[in-house]
Amino acid sequence: MIDKERIAKELAGVVGTDGVVIDPGELRVYETDGLTVFKAMPEIVVLPRSAEQVAGVVKVCHREKIPFVARGAGTGLSGGALPVEGGMLVGLNRMNRILEIDYENQRATVEPGLVNVWLTNALAPQGYYYSPDPASQTACSIGGNVGENSGGPRTPKYGVTTNHVLGLEVVLPDGEIVRLGAKTLDPLGYDLTGVFVGSEGTFGIVTKVIVRIMRKPEAVKTLMGVFESIEDASNSVSGVVARGIIPVAIEMMDNNSIRAVEKGVGAGYPTDAVAVLLVEVDGPKDEVEALVDPIIEVLKENRVREVRVARDETERLLLWKGRKAAFAAMGQISPEYYVQDSVIPRTRLPAIMGFIGELSQRYGLRVANVFHAGDGNLHPLILYDSRNEGELQRAEEMGAEIIKACIEMGGSLTGEHGIGLEKREFMPLMYTDDDLGAMQKVKKVFDPDGLLNPGKIFPTARPGVEVGPAGQREILKKVLGAHGGGHAV
Amino acid sequence: MLSDEGLVQRLSDFVGPEHVTAGPAASAYAVDGRAPRTVVFPGSAEETSALMAFASAEGLKVLPRGSGTKMALGGIPERVDLVLVLSRLNGVVDYEPADMTASFQAGILLKDAQSVLGRNRQLIGLDPPYVDLATLGGILATNSSGPRRLRYGASRDLVIAIRVVHADGRVTKGGAKVVKNVTGYDMNKLYIGSLGTLAIIVEATLRLHPVPALERTFLAPFRTIDVASGAVARILDSPVVPSAVELFNHTASRQVAGQAGVPWPEEGYGLAVAIGGVRREAVDAQIETVRRLCRGVESSEVHMLDGHVHDAFWRATRDFTAGDGLRSVLKASVLLTRVGEAVRLGEEVAAQQGLGLGVVSEAGSGIVRYYLTGGSASPERFPQGVAEAVNRLRAFAREAEGNLVILEAPPEVKKRVDVWGLTEKALPLMQRPKAEFDPQRILNPGRFVGGL
Repeated sequence: MIDKERIAKELAGVVGTDGVVIDPGELRVYETDGLTVFKAMPEIVVLPRSAEQVAGVVKVCHREKIPFVARGAGTGLSGGALPVEGGMLVGLNRMNRILEIDYENQRATVEPGLVNVWLTNALAPQGYYYSPDPASQTACSIGGNVGENSGGPRTPKYGVTTNHVLGLEVVLPDGEIVRLGAKTLDPLGYDLTGVFVGSEGTFGIVTKVIVRIMRKPEAVKTLMGVFESIEDASNSVSGVVARGIIPVAIEMMDNNSIRAVEKGVGAGYPTDAVAVLLVEVDGPKDEVEALVDPIIEVLKENRVREVRVARDETERLLLWKGRKAAFAAMGQISPEYYVQDSVIPRTRLPAIMGFIGELSQRYGLRVANVFHAGDGNLHPLILYDSRNEGELQRAEEMGAEIIKACIEMGGSLTGEHGIGLEKREFMPLMYTDDDLGAMQKVKKVFDPDGLLNPGKIFPTARPGVEVGPAGQREILKKVLGAHGGGHAV
Repeated sequence: MLSDEGLVQRLSDFVGPEHVTAGPAASAYAVDGRAPRTVVFPGSAEETSALMAFASAEGLKVLPRGSGTKMALGGIPERVDLVLVLSRLNGVVDYEPADMTASFQAGILLKDAQSVLGRNRQLIGLDPPYVDLATLGGILATNSSGPRRLRYGASRDLVIAIRVVHADGRVTKGGAKVVKNVTGYDMNKLYIGSLGTLAIIVEATLRLHPVPALERTFLAPFRTIDVASGAVARILDSPVVPSAVELFNHTASRQVAGQAGVPWPEEGYGLAVAIGGVRREAVDAQIETVRRLCRGVESSEVHMLDGHVHDAFWRATRDFTAGDGLRSVLKASVLLTRVGEAVRLGEEVAAQQGLGLGVVSEAGSGIVRYYLTGGSASPERFPQGVAEAVNRLRAFAREAEGNLVILEAPPEVKKRVDVWGLTEKALPLMQRPKAEFDPQRILNPGRFVGGL
C-alpha cells in the first residue's frame, strides 16, 4: 500500500493541487472505461497539463514502484484504461490542444487528450481532414486512438491510426521524454513509432502526436443496398472489391440493428430488410461518378431489393446517421449488450454470419450485427439483460465461441478494440509461447520494470503477468476446454 | 572455433552440400570487400531456423541476403562468417484473390509475386529500385520504396503478417492474415526496415490492391526548380489524386525520358505526374487539372505518356542508375516544402566537389535520391568528395526535420562518413531492441544505425 498522503502532496507539487484527485467519490469516475463489466478503483488520479508534468508524475511512480495507467477519454471497449487497484491513473484530458497545423507539409501536431473529431473540425475550413474516425470520434481522444490503433468505417481505403501517425513524443516509464519518428517519412533506425501505436498504453505515455492530414476528396458518393439475405449482402462486398474498386467504407447492418436504429434515430432504413449495406466511394468527381454504376451492377447481381444513392450531403449524412448511432440505439431493443470485435477474411463472411445465427438460437440470446464488412471486422452485439440469472455469463460464453470460430477461419481476435483485460486469455489461440515471448521482449524495451498498465494484453499464464478477474478464465475453460485451453494456429 | 572445412561440413548437414559455398566462390558474396567464410542457401524456414540455432551456438556472424541488390546499404560489417541467402524460399504460401491478401516466402522476387497476382489484376503496392531483381524479404528488411508509395504507402502500410527466424533459431509470427488486426503488439513494424538486425524475415503477408484500369503520365520540363516546386505544391493541394509525383534534375530527366523514347530539352527540371483510374475521361480530367496547375510550362513541351512509353518511363525512373565506374547513392527525407531546396543544394554541392549528379525525387513524399558519380573528380578524390557532400546534405536534411542515408557507396566512402547519421541522443533507445532480440550481436553486426 502506498503512502497516499505523502505521494499526493509530492504530486501536487508537480501538477498543482487541482490536478490531484484522492477523494473516493471523485475517483469513482475513473473506475471503469467503455467496457463497464470491469471495475477497479485507482488510489490516486493525476491530471497533468504538459509533457514535463507527465514526466514528473511518472518519475514519482518509478521511484516508488507504483503501477500506473494512462487514460484519455475512457471510451475504450476492452478495459485498456482500467486502473490498477491501488495504483495511479494519469488522466490526459487536460492536454487537449492542437499545437500545430502545417497544411503545406500535410501534418498536424496535437496533444493526446484532443478529441478525435475536433481535429477534423479545425481542419475543415481549409478543406483538410484527419482520416481515422472511430464511431466514438466525438468523444474519444487521439492519444487513446494511438494506444488502441483505432480504426473506424474508413479503413478499407485509408487504413487505421498507425497509417496516419508519423511521430510521437512519449514519456517512458522511467520519466524520460523521448521523440519517436518525425514529420518526415522513413525516420532512422527501428520503427518505434509503428511499434508504439497499438501498444495499449503498456509502453509509455504519449504527450504529442504528429499525424498526417489529408485534403478532402472532391466528391463523395454513398449508396445503400437493401437485401433479403445476409449472404447476398456479404457476396456484394466481395463483388465490389473484385471489380477493382476500393470503397472508403462498406458497412453492414442486420435486421436487429436496423430496427434498433429506426426506433432510435429514424435514419429511414426499411425495417423489414434482412440486411442493409452502406457503400461509400470518394475521390475526384469524374472518378467517383464512374464508380457508382459498377457498384450498383454488383448489388443487382446479388439480388439487391432496393438501391438508394444519396443525392446530396443531407441525404448522405442521414444514411450514415443510422450506422453511427447503432451502438447507442441498442438500448431501444435491449437493456444491455456485449460487443465482440473479431476479424475474418472477407470471403468467410457468409459462413461466420450463419454460425453467429446458430449460436444465437443455441444460447437463446438475440444478436445485432453492425460491422465493417469491407475488412471483415465483425461487431456482433450480443443482447442480454443481467437481471435475468446467468444471461451475462451466457453472453460472454457466446462471445468466446464467436472469437474461437473466427480464429479457426484464419482471422483475428480483435480488429480495432484491443485486447486489454477483456481478451487477454484468448491470446494463446492466435499466438504461440514464442510469439508472445517476442512481444514481451518489446515490452521490456520500453518498460523493463513492468510498471505501466500491468495485467493487460498478456494471458495470466505468462510469467510476470498478474492474475485477473477469475470468471474470465472459467468461461474460457468451458468454451475452449475441448482444445485444452487453446493452441495457436 | 570451427575450421573452415568443419564449418562447411556442419552446414552441409543442415542443407545438403550442394547448398553450401565456401572458398574463392564465396568471395562473390563479399560485403564492403569482406568475403564470407561460407555462403549457405536454406530451403525452408525450418532449415533457416536450424542454421540460426547453430550460428548462435557457435557465435557465427550472419548476414541475411536475398538477391543482393542492397548489400551496399549499411555500415561495413564487423565480421562475415556466414552469408545466409534466402533465394530458395521463393514460394507463394497462400493467395485468396477475393480477400486481396497473399502470403509469400521472403526470397520470392517481387517481380514473380507481381506476376502471380497480375493474373487476377491485383498487385503489391511496392515499386522499389531493382524491381526485377529485388526479393520481397530484402525490400521489407530495407524498407525500400518507390514512386507509388504516394498512392499505396510503404512496406509498413502493406504488410499485415510476418514470420521471422530469431537469432537463436526460434520462429515467431506477428500480425494476422486479415487486413485489420490489433491483437497484441504490431511486430511487423519492428522487423520492417530493421536490416535483418533483429531477426530474419522468412515469410510475409501483404494486403493487395487492384491494378488500375489505366494510368497516364503528365511529363513536362521546367526552367527552374522553384517553378517546378511551386507546381508540385499546387498539385498536392488540389483535388487531383496522383499515383506518383516525381521530380528530376536535368541529368536524370534526360536519361529517363531518353530511355522511354521521349525527346527532352537541353536544360531544366522534369516533373512527372502519374494518374490512375477506372475511366479514360476521369483520368484525363485530372491530367487537365495538373496541366492547369503547372504554370509557366510551354504546352508544346508537355508529354502525355501512355501504354508502353508510360511503362518504360516509370521503369527507367525506378531503376535509375548513374555511374562511370564511381558511384554513390544517397537518400534524403525532408519536409515536402523543402524538396526544391534539397534538389538545388545537391546540385550546388556536387558542382563544388566536381561530382556528377542525377536527382530523382518522390516529391509528393519528401524523398530525394542523389546519384553521385565521378564527374571531373579523380578516383582518389571521389570518396572525400562524396563524404563532404553527405555532410552538407545531411545537415540540411536534419534542419528540414528529416535525415539522409547512404544507400550505396564504396567502403572508402563509408570509412569517411557514417552511413546512417543517427544522432548520439537517439542511439540509446535504438540499442535496446537489439539487446533484447540479438544480445550476442550475430545478425548483421555493424551494419545498422549507430553500428548496431
